Amino acid sequence: MNLSAVWETLQSWTLAAAIRGDLAGTEWIFPIIETCHVIAVSVMVGSIAMVDARLLGIGCRSTAVRGVTTELLPVTWTAWGCAALLGSLLFISKAKVYAGNFDFRMKFVLMGLAGLNMVVFHRGVFRDVARWDTGEPPPAARIAGALSLAFWIGVVFFGRWTGFTT
Amino acid sequence: MFRDYAEGLSRTALSRALQDHGWIIPASQSIHILAVSVVFTSALLVNLRVMGVGRSGRTAPQLAGALLPWMWVGFGVLLLTGALQTIAEPVREFVTPVYWAKMILISFVVSLTAGYSRARLMGEGRSTRFVPRTLDIGFALLSTVIWVAIIACGRFIGYTSPLYV
Repeated sequence: MNLSAVWETLQSWTLAAAIRGDLAGTEWIFPIIETCHVIAVSVMVGSIAMVDARLLGIGCRSTAVRGVTTELLPVTWTAWGCAALLGSLLFISKAKVYAGNFDFRMKFVLMGLAGLNMVVFHRGVFRDVARWDTGEPPPAARIAGALSLAFWIGVVFFGRWTGFTT
Repeated sequence: MFRDYAEGLSRTALSRALQDHGWIIPASQSIHILAVSVVFTSALLVNLRVMGVGRSGRTAPQLAGALLPWMWVGFGVLLLTGALQTIAEPVREFVTPVYWAKMILISFVVSLTAGYSRARLMGEGRSTRFVPRTLDIGFALLSTVIWVAIIACGRFIGYTSPLYV
């Protein structure tokens, strides 16, 4: 079974038809799920940006880096879980259209790069965080913060653009 | 009344210039969403802390001291990009009651946040000894619900305006 057939199967589900608003009385399901998706993405990106700002030395400077991550990571992961679930529901409504859309694909490329950046950061410079926890982060941490910020801003841009091009 | 004004606004040179460049609205909306991220996350984190949720050592006033300046900067960006979108597509915005509901809710929550943070979160001696009262929890719940409603209104402007045009 090729991917195109998978997308067609997904969007043939009754749930997908309901999200598209094809069934009577379901016209508002897509906007409601989309609104909840935007709220979840906002919290996720906002909380990540706060950690990035601390790494870049432009925000929360009076708080230790581990203090900021401990405070925000549960919020980030909860919001990520909600965004992923709601985003999947939106995706199945027009799976074939989204899968073939350049902006949608770019959004996922940037999310992948953001994830990779996070893994490299946690397995690299963050292991020595005890040394710079309360002071200025080293250049590698600043670069990770700048890349993360850039990738997530890109995710929001391509996410919004997807709405205009699908 | 608002429709006539909106149609007049859409014929201005600035509105036409914005309409002529197709990338301006998506770009402005993207920046608007990024500003929403900053404002809503700041408000949510402070509100959660006021309600006693969270395991950080920072108190609600300490968190508000760190986040509220970012929140006001984000709010400035929201106003700017929101104004740009309204000038570019005034009829789309003004015809739907959802747009006006959003404006009323924003005015209310901004006044509420400014008044509450001055009265309860800012100022000398408040940073370490903050014991939430029922009124504080009421503010935090109300503020969170209003911000969620504002974001929902923002999304629904586009979905409801075709019903009124």
